[in-house]
Amino acid sequence: MLNVDFNKLAELINQNVSGANATVNTTEDAKTDSSISVEASKIFSVVEFLKTNKEMPFNALQAVSGVDYVEWMEVCYIMAHFDLTTPRELILKVKVTDRVSPAVDSVVSLYPAANFQERECYDMFGIKFNNHPDPRRILCPDDWEGFPLRKDYVAQKVYNGMEVFPDHKMNYDDREFIVRQDMIKKAQTQAAN
Amino acid sequence: MSTNHHQTGSVKDYFADLFSGISTTVIGMWITFKYVWAVKPVSIEYPEVREVLPERARMRLFNDVQNCISCTQCAMACPVDCIYIASEKRPEGEEIKKTSNGQPIRLKLTQFTIDTALCCYCGLCTVVCPTECLTHSHDYEFSQYTIDTMKYDYLAPDVIAWRDRIVKS
Amino acid sequence: MQSKWDIGEPEKPTINSETEQLKSDLLTLNMGPQHPATHGVLRLEIWTDSEIVAHAIPHLGYLHRCMEKHAENLDYRGVIPFVDRLDYLAAMNMEWTYVAAVEKMLGTEVPRRAELIRILVAELNRIASHMMAFGTYAIDLGAFTPFLYAFDEREKILRLFEEVSGARLLYNYIWIGGVWNDWTDEQLERVANFCDVMEEEIKKYNELVSMNKIFIERTANVGVVSIEDCFAYGATGPILRGSGMKWDLRKNMPYGLYSEFDFDIPVGSSEVAGQAGDCWNRYMVRMNEVNESVKIIRQVIQKMEPGPVMGKVSKIIKLPKGEVYVRHECPRGELGVHLISDGGKTPYRLKVKSPCFTHVSMLPHIAPGQMIADLVATVGSIDIVLGEVDR
Repeated sequence: MLNVDFNKLAELINQNVSGANATVNTTEDAKTDSSISVEASKIFSVVEFLKTNKEMPFNALQAVSGVDYVEWMEVCYIMAHFDLTTPRELILKVKVTDRVSPAVDSVVSLYPAANFQERECYDMFGIKFNNHPDPRRILCPDDWEGFPLRKDYVAQKVYNGMEVFPDHKMNYDDREFIVRQDMIKKAQTQAAN
Repeated sequence: MSTNHHQTGSVKDYFADLFSGISTTVIGMWITFKYVWAVKPVSIEYPEVREVLPERARMRLFNDVQNCISCTQCAMACPVDCIYIASEKRPEGEEIKKTSNGQPIRLKLTQFTIDTALCCYCGLCTVVCPTECLTHSHDYEFSQYTIDTMKYDYLAPDVIAWRDRIVKS
Repeated sequence: MQSKWDIGEPEKPTINSETEQLKSDLLTLNMGPQHPATHGVLRLEIWTDSEIVAHAIPHLGYLHRCMEKHAENLDYRGVIPFVDRLDYLAAMNMEWTYVAAVEKMLGTEVPRRAELIRILVAELNRIASHMMAFGTYAIDLGAFTPFLYAFDEREKILRLFEEVSGARLLYNYIWIGGVWNDWTDEQLERVANFCDVMEEEIKKYNELVSMNKIFIERTANVGVVSIEDCFAYGATGPILRGSGMKWDLRKNMPYGLYSEFDFDIPVGSSEVAGQAGDCWNRYMVRMNEVNESVKIIRQVIQKMEPGPVMGKVSKIIKLPKGEVYVRHECPRGELGVHLISDGGKTPYRLKVKSPCFTHVSMLPHIAPGQMIADLVATVGSIDIVLGEVDR
């Protein structure tokens, strides 16, 4: 990541946002990117601080993406600073442990860019964003069940009277496909236990 | 040249606007008019005239089953899983044939089907093929009435009979 | 006898009250999903007050293929054909971004010739994509002829791509570690000739469309996006540059070999027509970018040196545990790839930050207060590709 002193930024966040508990996730491998994790309950204040501070401001939110680690879920806020002299990039992470009704605060009032990104994150992972102005699904139909990018996702059987993945249209003679069905079942049993 | 002058609304600007409107339109019409005789048509009359495809063009897949060693590497590489291969052990004592580049064919191929309707023509399967028997042919006219007939069994006699037409020469 | 059509006394006509209602209520219109001006299957729900748009609500997902879920089940090479299908008009740039993310984690050395070829194909594809944007934008505004001229030039590029990669639109050409096939000297010579033709053509297009008074009246001072809005909504690419910010990743955060190349960044201004951030300036940034791409391509051909085009990559690719975020300048804006690996053979998570998705989210902000015809001009100047919006 460019032009960001992670330790200093984490220190700054901890000084200015009480209870943010910012930690740096460094990697031994220099090829991969580092990131900063903060408490999920403080995400709004942290993003507000990152936007408004004078030392290391970030003027744009590029993406909000979820990651499902089966035991917990993460929301990654990818932020960037558009500046001709010192462009910056940062991956900010919050951990969500509740799989049944996960929720974090919305940052739409700070960055309008988060509007669609958070809707997509809700659509794909089921993470609710408190105070979001338009908390609907965006890519899937409004009455779709389940959240597709979760690792234990199984498509619903019937949608609006139509059969989803009807047997006569599936390629069961495909060996690879059967292997992946087993993987899904394994993930399901892991999630159930 | 600035074209923002119409905002002031004076009579001079009105006529200047009018003039630039007419002159730029005439310039555009002249460019279009030149196409009447100065530019040759680029489209071809398809069924009568056919474009010569480049050598690397990726059209329908073709497997030369006589050279296939049933290694299933193509089925592994396929991102959409449209290649179905089945093979069995040769019975004892049967002669082991060799491919054109000298590899022994140890397994007996019993099924080699490609669902062309599913294929995305990415070419990943042809790259991994060790005997270069799976290739993209230059055959792009294979529309069918039903989607089931898009599944091509390359062991079927009619496909083998098409070999001369399909295989890249 | 009473006929079955006889329904007795007619009701009091209610037309007056309806017209009264029309005056006070907003009328809901659906633009799309099958509307030529939405460039695909975008549905815009527009609430209009007579001819003025009061709200515009984009409804997405008609082309949703859940490519990110597919990618989790594919090996790293198998994802490339899926990445192609994001922005099918600039597939080379899409491939390069994804491949760059994988290569960054893998630490692969890419041969110099392959890097040069990547720049060559990316810039050629940028020209092809901008030609498409130019042609369809003219169609949106009621001029059909420029579309045919633009397609003639685009066809030459696609023909070259078909010769080197084998496909016209979805190439699967840029591979992890290099590129698939090498270019011959004859093909490079044709590219050089094409550059000369392209420069002449751009001059012609500018005379034909850009400087046309009717075109300027339709697009100048329409759909203005301020630079603050660009930052707030995360807009990038020609939209950010059209608003006057001299930002281009190829220059400001150079990737590949772009730091060796000499080119300008066209920005929007009020010098010729309109004001910075309006439709005309966004459009003009694209047209000027074609000239800059031609400049880069000429330099690539000069610098081209013989050598291998594929680096050393193991047969089964396994990435180290970790994550990486890579963004590249694509014709429509910055494409970001957030790749997370758990050390296995498949990506654990692949998030694609698509520029068009971001730009569509601006529409509810810029559309209100415009005429419907101006909304068409605005959507066209943003130049979205729905394959990338819906993924």
